[in-house]
Amino acid sequence: MEKTSGIVLMAFFACLLTGTLSFAECLDNQQIYRSEYTLRYSESAPLEEGYTAGLETNKASKNKTPAAVSPILLTSSAPVRDKGMPSRVKESSEPLVLAQQVEPEEELQDGNDLETIADPLEPINRAIYHFNDKLYFWLLKPVATGYKAVTPEKVRVGMKNVFYNLAFPIRFVNCLLQAKGKAACDEFVRFFTNSTIGMGGFIDVAGNKLKLKKYDEDLGQTFGAYGAGPGFFINWPIFGPSSVRDTFGSAGDAFLEPLNYMIPKSKYRIPVGAYNTINKTSLSIGEYEDLKKAALDPYIAIRDAYYQYRRAQIRE
Amino acid sequence: MHRRYFFWVALLLVLLFSGAPFALAGMPTEKIKETTNEILAIVTVPDRKEVPVNAEMKKRIRKAVDKRFDWEEMARRSLARHWKKRTDLEKTQFVVLFGKLLERTYLDKVEGYSGEKVVYLGESIDDNYAVVNVKIITAKNEEIDVAYRLRQKGDDWLVYDISVAGVSLVNNYRVQFNSIIARSSYESLVKRLKEKIAPN
Repeated sequence: MEKTSGIVLMAFFACLLTGTLSFAECLDNQQIYRSEYTLRYSESAPLEEGYTAGLETNKASKNKTPAAVSPILLTSSAPVRDKGMPSRVKESSEPLVLAQQVEPEEELQDGNDLETIADPLEPINRAIYHFNDKLYFWLLKPVATGYKAVTPEKVRVGMKNVFYNLAFPIRFVNCLLQAKGKAACDEFVRFFTNSTIGMGGFIDVAGNKLKLKKYDEDLGQTFGAYGAGPGFFINWPIFGPSSVRDTFGSAGDAFLEPLNYMIPKSKYRIPVGAYNTINKTSLSIGEYEDLKKAALDPYIAIRDAYYQYRRAQIRE
Repeated sequence: MHRRYFFWVALLLVLLFSGAPFALAGMPTEKIKETTNEILAIVTVPDRKEVPVNAEMKKRIRKAVDKRFDWEEMARRSLARHWKKRTDLEKTQFVVLFGKLLERTYLDKVEGYSGEKVVYLGESIDDNYAVVNVKIITAKNEEIDVAYRLRQKGDDWLVYDISVAGVSLVNNYRVQFNSIIARSSYESLVKRLKEKIAPN
């Protein structure tokens, strides 16, 4: 009995907290926005997509400085975090989810028109890329293909949902850290619903029936939201692409990972983790091959895609 | 996660009209829908499962795509700072090569289309630039955010970039091309492009 009341009490306080934080979120947006601005400006970043486009002043637009300034004024008064429309929308049927702004005319000039992640360890990273590549084709893919052949898709998707559901503390805590009140609340509801009605996370009831959005936050994104740049690119053996910031983030998140606590004997942790990887891979065989096919330099393609993807995740 | 990006860019060239008419959608969104419907009309013939996408269909798809995509603009942006240094002939050649690269890589993916739904989220217009945001929902109920960037040319709106889950196609190629040119030369880039495109 005590346990139940404890849980209910916890849930109540969680929602109270998130309600307060939603309010603080609006104020916080201004601050996060400005710290991102400082960061980007100091990188002498070129034009890029996304709603911070108004903040960046490309060398090219120095003849347009007045225009570049007004977007800053416009956008800072209307933060476009997870709702709301850019101030210049002429016609729109729904609030933009991504709220990607339009960038001014990109003029191609010499100099820093190439915003990408620093890669001082490139030779090492490339070597590790080749290692991971072989690991995928020689080990992971064959095993995943075999597993896929004997396991129905529904089961594999279900297991993926279970592992995803278990990582709830990571998402929840990081939503709170980023003062995303609604996100934290939604994540809580998702976890609760999926764990109970969804049979331990197997069925994504919250997504299918309640249409609740996923908020896939992690510590690396939290660091980024508070202005931390990615640092430089690190390609880990087995684990794949990461950055200085995201590596610290993953290390921190490991403390919140329930699997690390649920499995009493550490010798089982690796097989469980391996199963998770195999299961996830079985659902996305072919994507890595497509990426290699589309790229002239797959290593760079992966590195840049990782960089852009994380940047977009942090922004939203 | 970023791996998915390339598969979905491919699929984007073959989108499904979501079915719900957005009466208030602006010109850019309408243009995207137009092209989408065209391609769909080509790809979804009744006995589609037995009929593989043949060369004839690919040609028609390519024609429909050509009307909507500004290949020169995409190629120019992907070369970025190296574009100015090229001669006119080199520029023309590069645009052709780039177009072929995308065609070979992505048009082949048309066959992978299997009823994904597209939801048009909205657009934003600024002068003669626009962004159209859509969401693709797969059979496994995964959601992918996609953004088209368009530029107005006269009466028409042409796509010059696609972002899947925040990863821009043009930016990605830009970093690759820049790296190759920096490590070797533009000629070596052209050579690698040709090797990639060559039928094998």
